[in-house]
Amino acid sequence: MNTLTRPQIDAFQAEVDAIRASVMSTLGQADVDHIRKMITLCRVSELSGRALLHFGPGPLSWVAGVLALAHAKILDNMEIGHNVMHGQYDWTGDPALNSQTFEWDIACDGEAWRHSHNVTHHTYTNILGKDRDLGYSLLRMTPEQKWKPRHWLQPLTNLMLAMGFQYGVGSHDLELGRYKHGAIPKPVFKERLNRFVSKVGKQWFKDYLLFPALALWSAPRVLAGNFAANLIRNLWTYVVIFCGHFTEHVAIYREQDCRNESRGDWYLRQLAGSSNLTGGRWFHVLTGHLSHQIEHHLFPDMPAHRYREVAPQIEALCLKYGLRYNTGSLFKQYLAVMKRILVNTLPPGQPRLAG
Amino acid sequence: MNRLDPQTLPLTRTEALTRPLVKALQHPWLAGIVRSSAVEDSLQALHPLLSLSAVRARVVKLIDETADTRTLLLRPNNLWRGAQAGQFVSVTVEINGRRHERMYSLTSRPGSRLLAITVKRQGLVSAHLHDAVRVGSVLALSQAMGEFTLPATLPPKLLLLSAGSGITPVLAMLRELQARRFAGDVVFLHISRNPADLIFADELRAAAVAFPALRLMLHFSQQQGRFDVGTLGQQVPDLAERATWMCGPVALMDAVQAHWHANRHSEPLHHERFAAAPLAAKPLSEPVRIQLLRSASDFASLGADNLLLQAEAAGHSPKHGCRIGICRSCQCVKRSGTVQNLQTGELSSTPNELIRLCVSAARSDLALEL
Repeated sequence: MNTLTRPQIDAFQAEVDAIRASVMSTLGQADVDHIRKMITLCRVSELSGRALLHFGPGPLSWVAGVLALAHAKILDNMEIGHNVMHGQYDWTGDPALNSQTFEWDIACDGEAWRHSHNVTHHTYTNILGKDRDLGYSLLRMTPEQKWKPRHWLQPLTNLMLAMGFQYGVGSHDLELGRYKHGAIPKPVFKERLNRFVSKVGKQWFKDYLLFPALALWSAPRVLAGNFAANLIRNLWTYVVIFCGHFTEHVAIYREQDCRNESRGDWYLRQLAGSSNLTGGRWFHVLTGHLSHQIEHHLFPDMPAHRYREVAPQIEALCLKYGLRYNTGSLFKQYLAVMKRILVNTLPPGQPRLAG
Repeated sequence: MNRLDPQTLPLTRTEALTRPLVKALQHPWLAGIVRSSAVEDSLQALHPLLSLSAVRARVVKLIDETADTRTLLLRPNNLWRGAQAGQFVSVTVEINGRRHERMYSLTSRPGSRLLAITVKRQGLVSAHLHDAVRVGSVLALSQAMGEFTLPATLPPKLLLLSAGSGITPVLAMLRELQARRFAGDVVFLHISRNPADLIFADELRAAAVAFPALRLMLHFSQQQGRFDVGTLGQQVPDLAERATWMCGPVALMDAVQAHWHANRHSEPLHHERFAAAPLAAKPLSEPVRIQLLRSASDFASLGADNLLLQAEAAGHSPKHGCRIGICRSCQCVKRSGTVQNLQTGELSSTPNELIRLCVSAARSDLALEL
């Protein structure tokens, strides 16, 4: 898919490796301070959000409470959970930042996530039939995926996925489709299903039973607030994640393209399969620095707040090797995603949408 | 019951209250609502010594013993269960964002509520304890650990043998003997480079006068030459009758142990090895495959090093602590395969057994729950 010669790929690999080493050799206090600050902020935000929902007067405090709680959940899922579970802070030796034991405030069980995301998605990024994040087995994102009549409903499916994104992510590792085809033994599926159901149960218990019950007569207010906060978090994470891999020009691979890949080839595939979002510092934090999806896919275990520092170097490297560095505003990138979803709603052979 | 195992020491009164809380916080239904790390952080924001589960101690005094050795006097929180002379604690410090754990013998005075560790400047953590730790700093400790202690019923004749900074646990024992008004006969033989390097010099000389059971023997290798273990029998003629406790460099302890065997001494020889003298793992002729089940990856190994180091070299970061087979932080389930325990040399092929990565080497293909 790229036009680089083998020696050029090797040189590219060496340069990316050097950028990685320049950051990884300087990990230290500043990185731990950053993530601890985020954790504190998340806790303060959750506490104030829940306090406002429980005890606040009037509808304005309800809105503020929802926003604060959604903010906490977004920080917890994106900047803290996603990044910690990638092992970005394992080098600290702090048990609270251990990738293997971290658990987050979302319907997706941490253990399932570590498998479906860290192993499957990051290793086989954008390989058809391998990367199960490609359309989340629900959407047809590329003409190379087989069209089925259910894809007529794709725009609606997309909306449902966006609103319930945490359940999409949580049930992802069940691999329901493969189980139906007999590719997954029943006990394995049973275990995964139990884990999913148990995590969803715990989340519902917390947000839709315990906290509303504690609020006594304000139970409906708290219930609605928690639901709204979860919904906002779902929509936000959906938008950010879809903008990372399904924008225009993002390359999709076949299994045979990726056999015997060198690390250089892998870097190139990660680069071509990811797209960035532009924005300010706070925007980057709220996306968990997935606005630097390209850098994240090149260096998944680098503390994410360092992506800003390496991004200009990666972009310069792309210029040097004549590679596309896919970036744009959230609006522009999401428009491209929507176009992709709509185009692929139609069966092959239909006249393509203009544009 | 092994009374020296910290797990079996009686809980403190505070612990009797905090234990159920800690247990409750670990319950999966509650853990999803309040993380125990959030509880700990909040408690420590209120007061740095507060904790539900961790022994934390405030530095109340620093005493410079020699040019490169310093004693830290610590006041622990109410979770500290106490210690016996000769035991050690692990101290965890954070240096430039990374946690490091090291073991230090306790040099607390018998009966004192304060703990003490005596630290010789020799590496990253000890340098940190010298340079960055001040009166008022708070350290995270483990409970006291180790079985290098004096028995409840003392033998009539003892030898306490140490070299260099290995003096710390045996000095604690000497203080205990003195506090227990030991009326037998104890030889305290210590090897030091020169008088300036001798830790606790004044205290030792004072004890030699005030404590009638004690015979103090100091060997300064700069003046008297390298200590020859072969002469031990001449220096301590009734060596065969003395139960011995020793702590020092590995080479010295190996030599003493060899001497013990060669002379068929029947009295017990207790020793404390911080640099656990693991067997050098003999590399295999063919590489074996180490399968990490949870992370769905694997790496090849010749079994020439412990599994923790090898997993790290392969880019993994298993949970770990002391790295010398003590804390069991790196313990994991071995589903299948044969490992060799590098401390005992024992081979084990039991399926589904717990192994400590830092003291185990692969002897066949392995499947690990990692």
